[in-house]
Amino acid sequence: MKMKRHVTCLMKKLTEKSHFSTLQITRFLSTQEAIERRSYLFTLEKKRQIENVGRIEKIEVQYKGIPKDCTLVMNKNISTPYDCARHLSEWHMESSVLALLDGNLHWDMHRPLTESCTLEFQNYKAAEPQQVNKAFWRTCSLMLGACATVAFKDTVPVHLHSFPLPDIRSGSFIYDVDLPTLSDWQPTHQEVLTLAAEYVKLCRKAVPLERLEVGEELALEMFVDNEHKSKQIPNIAKTNGKVILYRAGNHVDISRGPLISNTAQIGRLAVTAVHKLTGPTEDGVSQLYRFQGVALPKGVVLDHFAFSILMDRAKKLNPARSPFLKKEDPEINEQIENVAAQA
Amino acid sequence: MNQAEVSKLVSKLRMNIKPEHRRLKNLKGPEGRIDKLRKTVTGLIKFERIELNINRGDEARQYAERLISEAIRHGDCHKPTMDMANFWLLEKQLVHKLFKVLVPRFENSTVSYTKMIKAPKAQNTEHTNKIVLELRGNPYPDLIVKQPNNRLWIQNVLLDAAKYDYRQSKISEIAANIGKDTQLSSSSLTANNKGGTQKEES
Repeated sequence: MKMKRHVTCLMKKLTEKSHFSTLQITRFLSTQEAIERRSYLFTLEKKRQIENVGRIEKIEVQYKGIPKDCTLVMNKNISTPYDCARHLSEWHMESSVLALLDGNLHWDMHRPLTESCTLEFQNYKAAEPQQVNKAFWRTCSLMLGACATVAFKDTVPVHLHSFPLPDIRSGSFIYDVDLPTLSDWQPTHQEVLTLAAEYVKLCRKAVPLERLEVGEELALEMFVDNEHKSKQIPNIAKTNGKVILYRAGNHVDISRGPLISNTAQIGRLAVTAVHKLTGPTEDGVSQLYRFQGVALPKGVVLDHFAFSILMDRAKKLNPARSPFLKKEDPEINEQIENVAAQA
Repeated sequence: MNQAEVSKLVSKLRMNIKPEHRRLKNLKGPEGRIDKLRKTVTGLIKFERIELNINRGDEARQYAERLISEAIRHGDCHKPTMDMANFWLLEKQLVHKLFKVLVPRFENSTVSYTKMIKAPKAQNTEHTNKIVLELRGNPYPDLIVKQPNNRLWIQNVLLDAAKYDYRQSKISEIAANIGKDTQLSSSSLTANNKGGTQKEES
């Protein structure tokens, strides 16, 4: 309650100063409506794609791992590694983060299998967990975006911008968010805690991260309310005309993937800081807020002192490339845009 | 020249042995002590893993080790060894186990035949320390599970990066201070020099 009152008080102060004219022009859908619309389109497209599979063909999946190697006969383009895990045990369903196909290809747990292959499951304790860690960090970034859209009141429009490639050694996962009505926001400690609480709430819902490849047009239609994403989409779709979307709950976002299987696999976490990034004004975006956090997978037990070290480090501004950098040098900047949008 | 090689009279046990034996106090005196130890040695050979107090366990371990090493050394056709096995093993089928199961198992062993591990103790109790005594190569699951650790686990990567960051900041701090020190000292040096030259001039 206290937190809520605190936030509302701050919101009131800010809305008094804010410019209502710009607000009404830039927004023709409320944030909540836009989220639901996007999720609905995602559902429709997913249904369409499954119906498009047509005649069901069988593939042989050779599972390698505990309790013993076995062969599963699954449906082509319908069955996912998660379905294979459901044939094995609850432990496999809960702990598997990524699937490893043919020993070299990392595959989302909820992505349909396209051909016969060998299958291994990887969790956070795998012998070589680099890809798993990256997927985890990427998912944390994506969920931070979801958290940012949910946490603010309806009067504050939230436009998600992007998040860069996962860099675990930087100490924090980040999401750059555009908050047009908040020109000079410095979050208090309480507000940061509120954000973290929202994040935990989202993760506790334990929703799967669904993957979908859609065409450029549909992607543009889904992100019509978000100017930044609609600018990034043509760039991403340049190579094969496809955009990869992920959905957690009803939050849909662009990411190259792969991501982890379920939000319940995110354990201890902290949203640590929100920093302001400023840049040139020509493009309409003069500033972004960089949300930062740090998290550990579920089941990883870390001493509170060690975790406080990680939290303190994550409070510093993450040196990952700012989206504003591109205006200065067009050549490098195209690559950066690609990197930022496709992460 | 006629002396026997003392080192080979008794086989050397691969464990630490206290110079004094424990008395294991009881009503019957030394005889009672031996009885207790026979029961324990029999139990060890029979069950392969037993939990008991540290005094009795450590004492019985020495006798069990000796028994197995004698059995390996002399085999089952050696009268004194057979008598010894007969004396220490109260259940006679265990004599067969000793020669037919344990001797082949430990023949090529380079470490002790038994293993003693500290057992957990209930909190706020005054009981003596408990131990678990077991024969090596027993069929039970291991008591000590090695905790695996991997540098690449995400928590380790994060902590490593934090450590590196901290060290870098410290190093840059020191480097900045070094610059200041030299500046200070060099300025004082120049002042001295000036003083010196002035003196010379004067």
